[in-house]
Amino acid sequence: MYNWLTDCVFYVAAALLVVSSLLVITSRNPVRSVLFLVLCFFCSSILWMLLEAEFLALVLIFVYVGAVMTLFLFVVMMLHIDLEKLKTNFVRYLPIGALIVLGMIGLMGYIIAPEHFSLLAPAHHGADYSNIKELGTALYTHYVYPFELAAVILIVAIISAISLAHRGPRGRKSQDVPSQLNIQRNDRVRLVDVPAEKKE
Amino acid sequence: MNFVIPDVVPAIPEIFMLAMTCIVLLSGLFLQRRYPSLPYMLSLLALVGAVVLTVALYKHTTEITFHNSYIIDHIGSILKVTILGTCFFVFLYCRRYVADRNILNTEFYVLCLFSVLGMMVLVSAYSFISLYLGLEIFSLPLYALIALQRDAARSAEAAMKYFIMGAVASGMLLYGLSMIYGATKSVDIAVVSQVLTSVPASQNLILVFGLVFVVVGVAFKLGGAPFHMWVPDVYEGAPSAVTLFIATAPKIAAFAMAVRLLVDMMPLYQVEWQHMLIVVALVSMAIGNFVAIVQTNLKRMLAYSSIAHMGYMSLGLLSGNAQGYSAASFYIIVYTIMSLGAFGMVTILSGKGFEMETINDYKGLNSRNPWLAFIMLLLMFSMAGVPPIAGFFAKLGVIESLVEAHLVWLAVLALVFAIIGAYYYLRVVKVMYFDAPEHQSRIDTTSMDTRIAISANGLFILVLGIFPGIIFNLCKAAF
Amino acid sequence: MDGNSIHNISMIIVFAPLVGAIIAGFFGKKLGPRMSHQVTIFLMTIAFVLAMYLAKLVFMDGQTYNGTIYTWGVSGSFQFNVGFLIDRLSTMMMLCVTFVSLAVHVYSIGYMHGDPGYQRFFAYISLFTFAMLMLVSANNFFQLFFGWEGVGLVSYLLIGFWFRRDNANFGSLKAFLVNRVGDFGFILGISAILNYFGSVDYQAVFDQVPQFAASNPTLSIIPGLHWSVITVICILLFIGAMGKSAQMPLHVWLPESMEGPTPISALIHAATMVTAGVFMVSRMSPLFELSQNALSLVLIIGSAGALFTGLIAIVQTDIKRVVAYSTLSQLGYMMAGLGASAFSAGLFHLFTHACFKALLFLGAGSVIIGMHHEQDMRKMGNLRKYMPITYVCFLIGALALSAIPPFAGYYSKDAIIEAVHASTIPGATIAYWCVLLGAFVTALYTFRAFFWTFHTQERMSDKVRAHLKESPWVVWAPLVALAIPSIFLGMILVGPMLYGKPPLLGDAIYVAPQYNVLAEMAKEYHGPWSMAFHSVMTLPFWLAVSGVFVAWLAYCGMPSLPEMFASRLRWAHATLTYKFGFDDFNQFFFVRGCRRIAGWCYRVGDQMIVDGFFVNGSGRVVQWVSRVSRHLQSGYLYHYAFAMILGLVVFLSWLVLG
Repeated sequence: MYNWLTDCVFYVAAALLVVSSLLVITSRNPVRSVLFLVLCFFCSSILWMLLEAEFLALVLIFVYVGAVMTLFLFVVMMLHIDLEKLKTNFVRYLPIGALIVLGMIGLMGYIIAPEHFSLLAPAHHGADYSNIKELGTALYTHYVYPFELAAVILIVAIISAISLAHRGPRGRKSQDVPSQLNIQRNDRVRLVDVPAEKKE
Repeated sequence: MNFVIPDVVPAIPEIFMLAMTCIVLLSGLFLQRRYPSLPYMLSLLALVGAVVLTVALYKHTTEITFHNSYIIDHIGSILKVTILGTCFFVFLYCRRYVADRNILNTEFYVLCLFSVLGMMVLVSAYSFISLYLGLEIFSLPLYALIALQRDAARSAEAAMKYFIMGAVASGMLLYGLSMIYGATKSVDIAVVSQVLTSVPASQNLILVFGLVFVVVGVAFKLGGAPFHMWVPDVYEGAPSAVTLFIATAPKIAAFAMAVRLLVDMMPLYQVEWQHMLIVVALVSMAIGNFVAIVQTNLKRMLAYSSIAHMGYMSLGLLSGNAQGYSAASFYIIVYTIMSLGAFGMVTILSGKGFEMETINDYKGLNSRNPWLAFIMLLLMFSMAGVPPIAGFFAKLGVIESLVEAHLVWLAVLALVFAIIGAYYYLRVVKVMYFDAPEHQSRIDTTSMDTRIAISANGLFILVLGIFPGIIFNLCKAAF
Repeated sequence: MDGNSIHNISMIIVFAPLVGAIIAGFFGKKLGPRMSHQVTIFLMTIAFVLAMYLAKLVFMDGQTYNGTIYTWGVSGSFQFNVGFLIDRLSTMMMLCVTFVSLAVHVYSIGYMHGDPGYQRFFAYISLFTFAMLMLVSANNFFQLFFGWEGVGLVSYLLIGFWFRRDNANFGSLKAFLVNRVGDFGFILGISAILNYFGSVDYQAVFDQVPQFAASNPTLSIIPGLHWSVITVICILLFIGAMGKSAQMPLHVWLPESMEGPTPISALIHAATMVTAGVFMVSRMSPLFELSQNALSLVLIIGSAGALFTGLIAIVQTDIKRVVAYSTLSQLGYMMAGLGASAFSAGLFHLFTHACFKALLFLGAGSVIIGMHHEQDMRKMGNLRKYMPITYVCFLIGALALSAIPPFAGYYSKDAIIEAVHASTIPGATIAYWCVLLGAFVTALYTFRAFFWTFHTQERMSDKVRAHLKESPWVVWAPLVALAIPSIFLGMILVGPMLYGKPPLLGDAIYVAPQYNVLAEMAKEYHGPWSMAFHSVMTLPFWLAVSGVFVAWLAYCGMPSLPEMFASRLRWAHATLTYKFGFDDFNQFFFVRGCRRIAGWCYRVGDQMIVDGFFVNGSGRVVQWVSRVSRHLQSGYLYHYAFAMILGLVVFLSWLVLG
């Protein structure tokens, strides 16, 4: 009973995940792509739930769906990307690409068969088991070094993003007196020699 | 749960580096108006301090801490010191270049320092997690650095290409590592190498499968063919100062990654990765040397030459004996010093508003500045492998190890490619010495400190050629 | 005092000249002439003083040192080391080299004054000193070869120092090429040693020699002809020595080397470099002593050279060439001494010769300065009136060279003649007659030059005579410094060097008991003075005196005599003027022959096959491949990603399925 239900949830969520991620890259409308991505995250969070990793499942929803994807949506809407233009070569390269992908899938299916891993399903815990506590303990003790490093990555990402995007204080409408004084005539006035009448 | 606070002493250089980087960042934010060169000075100080700490704290024993995440050993210390020293010279060469252009001053140094920190972490990584995090800390700033000159479209394109390709490669590496984790149930390199000795035959395929992805990831970071495609575009597109940085220290970090993942972790799968590296080395030497010949842009030519050099270096790794590993580490160190000099030359010769990029810009350099032309000659000869300069001994060591490993055919091919490669290095020399200059003016873009630095760099190559033992013995003791 | 301090001292001695050479060579233009010579001379002085101190350590305190300083490279089981072997022999050589070099440095201040290549000159001679010191201090064959080639290189540079003169270029090239012939033998010898003994370290090789000789291995030179390996090695090494020490028939370069500046002739082509061969053979005495054939060869080549090159000197008119040929002759004596197993006597002659030959050369140089760079003796005469100090010094040198007791040359040369006389190996009888007649010839040509230059009537032009005066003190001071040992060195050293118990050179030299001629001679030795008085009853003394007398007769007493000799004995005169035809034979056979063959090879081999087919052909192929393969780099991101994935798939299918 129990196994049957979880299996059922797993396969539905997994299938949905694969389909929606395919739709992310094939959808013609970028806004739809983003929404399919949201669906992807949602399905993955269900998979986390099945593994009893509630914390990760919720974080995935909060952070990615709640914050990151919302931001994405704004950006996509503002930039107005013409996906059609990007996809002009799509059909041309489709056959060879598909061939390679099929080859890869075949190989992986052959190699990553479950019997090669000899994995057992994780043991189930009781109701008083706290996934957050376990995670926190592991992060702050055993994995303290990688945890700190991850923090460094975040700093680096912030600095990189700001230094690339930030172009000095803008938006103020105050006058820049030195640049006004330094302006040359040629910067502002262009003299064009216009013929008196149109030559045939 | 009983938790023992890990021994942080071995990691003090990294901690110091992180602290100093933050200080540089803050000083740039708040004090740069008043002291414009403060971030630069502090950055140099950070590097010197880290070198001192690395040397002082190394106790000639292998120490593992942070729950198997961090290792400090002989080869790691050598590589760290080389990375830090290289970055020191990079800063010396770059100061004027960065100041002259529309590149954010503080951010440039901060990002470089972060990248160096990432390389140090990577060199000392002893688990998949810290290895991958180190890799990302060192790669992320590079992407940003390339695009830092924001008015150059070429740079933005290069940054984009590097970023996407880098992401693909990282993904592949991660995927490969996850396969190995799946088969061995551990992320610690020490544990994995232990488990591999008793792995059941059914899991063999998965491990090989993971290994292929790992080798691809490593080859991408090294810039070996056929995973090299980003190298020429990025080297050419990035501002020379950034190219100088990308072309030097990251090679050592990537080498460290190769040593940790292949030599330390998977010695039992040596046959498999040897086969792959043979292909990578051959294709790299072929593409690098052949395509370099037709280049007209010096940076692009050096990019192809770096691909070829990575091919030679892999020859040392793939020979699979201690002699080969030490020859490879000697090669990578010598290559880094040579490429530091060559790209450094490009950087310091470029003045405000013009780049010394194309080979034609070097016409008649001898009559414009004979000393710099001589240093460039030394560097080119060294890259071509002309005795008695260091590059020759680097190649010799690698080829010797191939012979030791009974791969004579590979050694012969390597020699053939080296001869082909000599052509384009000598062309630079020919242009410098025998062609008439296009501009008669003397070169005045260099300052005293850069002249001293570049002279030291070039002459060190020569000294290292006469006394290769200085570094070679260090490398030999590491394996 | 321990071995460490010897190590450090010898490091400083050897490398101080190198530092000087680097400073004067690279920064000479900035430093200016004055600073350049001050720096090099200062460093040379340090080297000389330390060499004296080293001599004290080695000779008085009996210390030796044999150790590696730096491992330059390792190839398989062979190590290429830089190391020092400081024993009595090398210390003696170092002392001699630094002393003469210092004298020549000082002398050059005056001689080279105002030359445009002044700094370059000082850099070269310091570099030469470094190379020579490396040679003598080596503890292995590679370093020996390094020094060997180093001195050869600097010698080439210095002979061609005035590179605008055609003669200088010709001479330098000739010296280089002839030396190459010798070096070829030398390196073959070293290779043979490496091959048979598996090491190039002196000590390691000499330790193996006794068992090796006991098994008496042979080597098939051509099928059916088996030679003892040791003999082959010795002969190959000796060919090297023949080149460097200018033994017949490889002597032809030394007279040509006189095109270089005179201080160089004194330093390199008389006192030090040319004796490298003698030094090397002595160093290899444990090898040579095991091969009687090799010893015979050394003896015969040496003594023949001593006589015949001496004869050539009689007809020379250039003052430097006379001294040059006398050098050849004296080198022959040294070799003859070594061949007779009297290594100590040969080396003894080397040291005394270094002093008096440097003296003669520098004296000749002083004359040349006075005569405004005129070297032809036919345009000199009666110079004693103008240059008294040079005159006296030159006379001392001439007396020493002619082996008139009690000057230095007498003791060493007489010892060699006696040793050859006492030797019993094949060829010793002929050799004895050669060296005996050589004594007469030596005195004859030496005093011919002496009388012709300093006595007889004045033949120079009035313009030259007006400026004729004694040279400045920097020129004559080294003369005096060298004159003193030229007088006394023989007396002082003869006892300890030849007959000491133990001999001065100690166990640096090995002499097999059956060849130990010096031990025979020691029975009749009763101190230097009695040896000098006793000489009146021996043949060599009277031969030398009669040589002096004949020279006096021919140039002062009856000046018509040389003319008469030249016209009556036309054939003999011609033979000597053409130097027994060595030069013409070489010119005709080797130079012209080589040019013919080279021309043919150039046209067919180089231009057609190599250039046409291989070089240009492969160049074109490479260019084509490059042009094609650059198109792989399209600039499109998806191409790049595709290449990556393709690579991945190829690897995967190969490794997983294959």
